[in-house]
Amino acid sequence: MATTSAFKWPWQYDFPPFFTIQKSLNTKDKQLEAWARLVIDYAQHNKIYSLDIAEATTSELFNNQKLNRRLSTDGVNTVLQYLEQKKLIEFTDNGRTRFHIFWRRPDVWANMIYQWAVENAFLNTPLTLYEITHGDDTTNESFHNLEREILMKALTCLEDQRRAQLMNIGGDNEGVKFV
Amino acid sequence: MATRRRIGVAAIQKKQETANKFAAKGDQMAGEQLVQFSQQLDQLSAGLEMFAQRHRDEIKKNSQFRRYFQEMCSSVGVDPLASSKGFWAKALGFGDFYYELGIQIVEICLSTTHINGGIMTVEEIRNRLMRTRSRTRKDTISTDDILRAVDKLKVLGNGFELVPLGGGRFLVQSVPGELSMDHSRVLQLAEDAAYVTKELIIDKLRWDEPRATSALEHLVKEGLAWTDEQASDTTQYWFPSLFLQQYCHSSSSTSVSESLHSMSFNNYQ
Repeated sequence: MATTSAFKWPWQYDFPPFFTIQKSLNTKDKQLEAWARLVIDYAQHNKIYSLDIAEATTSELFNNQKLNRRLSTDGVNTVLQYLEQKKLIEFTDNGRTRFHIFWRRPDVWANMIYQWAVENAFLNTPLTLYEITHGDDTTNESFHNLEREILMKALTCLEDQRRAQLMNIGGDNEGVKFV
Repeated sequence: MATRRRIGVAAIQKKQETANKFAAKGDQMAGEQLVQFSQQLDQLSAGLEMFAQRHRDEIKKNSQFRRYFQEMCSSVGVDPLASSKGFWAKALGFGDFYYELGIQIVEICLSTTHINGGIMTVEEIRNRLMRTRSRTRKDTISTDDILRAVDKLKVLGNGFELVPLGGGRFLVQSVPGELSMDHSRVLQLAEDAAYVTKELIIDKLRWDEPRATSALEHLVKEGLAWTDEQASDTTQYWFPSLFLQQYCHSSSSTSVSESLHSMSFNNYQ
């Protein structure tokens, strides 16, 4: 978790009952919505693409040490279920111990990557996946260091729209050609 | 022999005539007075109107001036806010001022009900108003203006109420639904800390336990209070509306309003 500038916590993070799942249904809805927003913003700020539940439960995200308040394991699960339902996260294993966080939807990533390829005249040129997410040309792009699985989802999107052709997937030199 | 005493028809007629003259004179005088009065009233109205027109900008811009003007009007029994069609509204565009303010207050209240359950301190409304308004103009809004505008909103039905906190301080309640005296007193008790506990209510308000429980349960059910189960000894009941006001004061940044605006997932990309 590389932190660049300080993350701006929402006011709810300083509001003690935020860390107790509310019983009143309306209030609980508001609370879960705020938690979802916080998880996404936090992941985006820290460029987190996937998280381990055990790790998340003990991280500052769900623990406010200053207030001495933490969201319980049950609470964390409730928040994650809400996020899953909103298709903002996706569990990566059947045991549900790890999940992807989509702070941008794959199709939004897809558009950004395609835009970059157009602007840098990479159309019709084979590129390796490594070049896109770890190459020197993309160090300033927001998709630099993007996780492979999310990148694949984005590229599949583009392929469906006939704007990209995937090559050698699963092989040594995984690549893509934007058209 | 002639006597000084006049008798006969002529005398009676004479008497009648005199009485009539007195009556006529009386009517005339009363009429003159009435004319004079109505002239004075016209003059007063004209004067107030001229005053209003001459100081129109001042009245609109300067909140203190506005308040004095309001007080002056009410002392002569005129309510410039009573109608949007009266000459007061015309002379001042004054109705407009409060109607506009009213609409902005409604907007603020509606856009924050999901956070505070529909109650807000007047102070916070004012902070928010000033923030949204400062982009376009510099005029200040006073607490008095807000109270007047909210008071006018009652015309729309019982959606908007002022809940007195004591000491001339108010909460604006923007959800229909009665807050009983008990609920108001709980809010009043919570004002400083932004939370209360059942024990505190029992101790300070000298209520029995069921009464405290029922008031708190109602406030939780209505979304006005959130429960915190992680306090050391007992459940704390927190009020976002009161908490936010303190939070705004402690961190002068606009992050609160930003986070309020970004609460919905509409702008999620």
